[in-house]
Amino acid sequence: MLGAGPVDGSVWRARSAWMAGPVKDREAFQRLNFLYQAAHCVLAQDPENQALARFYCHTERTIAKRLVLRRDPSVKRTLCRGCSSLLIPGLTCTQRQRRCKGQRWTVQTCLTCQRSQRFLNNPRHVLWGDRPEAQLGNQADPKPPQPLPNTAHPIPAQLPEEKVQPQSSSHQ
Amino acid sequence: MTSAVYHAFSQKEAKEFDVQQHMGAQRAEAFVRAFLRRSMPRMSQQALEDHLQRKAVVLEYFTHRKQKEKRKKSKGLSAKQRRELRLFDIKPEQQRYSLFLPLHELWKQYIRDLCNGLKPDTQPQMIQAKLLKADLHGAIVSVTKSKCPSYVGVTGILLQETKHVFKIITKEDRLKVIPKQNCVFTVEIDGFISYIYGSKFQLRSSERSAKKFKAKGTIDL
Repeated sequence: MLGAGPVDGSVWRARSAWMAGPVKDREAFQRLNFLYQAAHCVLAQDPENQALARFYCHTERTIAKRLVLRRDPSVKRTLCRGCSSLLIPGLTCTQRQRRCKGQRWTVQTCLTCQRSQRFLNNPRHVLWGDRPEAQLGNQADPKPPQPLPNTAHPIPAQLPEEKVQPQSSSHQ
Repeated sequence: MTSAVYHAFSQKEAKEFDVQQHMGAQRAEAFVRAFLRRSMPRMSQQALEDHLQRKAVVLEYFTHRKQKEKRKKSKGLSAKQRRELRLFDIKPEQQRYSLFLPLHELWKQYIRDLCNGLKPDTQPQMIQAKLLKADLHGAIVSVTKSKCPSYVGVTGILLQETKHVFKIITKEDRLKVIPKQNCVFTVEIDGFISYIYGSKFQLRSSERSAKKFKAKGTIDL
């Protein structure tokens, strides 16, 4: 679920060079985190007006670009690269499963800029790429996650099952 | 098109498909409507009805066209982006002030977490230093001093911050656009009141977290 839990943990995990806690970075990450949750909050309150959520995500992207911060892929996938709007399948984008060259791809299409992203889905490849880094990240002590916004998004019934597994592995 | 847009799952089906239903039916319906509005191609109502009532509706043609359009420049078309109204339209004025209160709660928690505590013995210097780098979207700001007297006393939740301007929504659901130049703003958090001199803050909010502020001569307004 795209709540506060995986967001905080996954952004923290991306910092593989774990120094003694550089202060500026932590503040910047907190700010990114806050902007992401604010965009979700605004969309949950009012699904018609997506301009504000898009503005927040655009600000987020500019900050990350300016300060060169690495983001976890699971968070990057929910932002559109073209128009930088927040992608929620069922509301802002569509998700389909296709078969191409004998493999299963998930195709996400943003409805504003018609930009599509393709992800390979292989049921055998369960664990995610940075396993040795995950061991390193778990030893360090993560910040307490930010509290969830009050409302939850409806889970569309067409979400393929393979999507659930990578999210649960990033929980660990 | 006049039939029901949204119909909730019954209990049995919900259990079978393992779908959670937190929201009330109205909220869910709002989401479905928004999605439908986004996905429909841009034709007039008459043309849509026509399409649906005729029997021969060609469905397979659109995929090739989409692929051709995608080939142009995938690195962000700036002129087209701005044209697509990333900013506000007037409809948000129908959206009440109460819709942005959860955003304000979120902002309060974020600032509390940033400062690690409420008000024991922290010097105001630390809080100010952190506020410079922090994000102000969702804060309640008010204008204390300004060269233009009609701006003084405006209070509301900050929705957007651009290079020269704050966009604020007041309690009467009015969207106010206030220039930063020649204004002093007040931000309050948990008993700490900070004054922000707008003339020094003429930066986009993303640039602000990357810039180091030097203490130059004190300018009043």
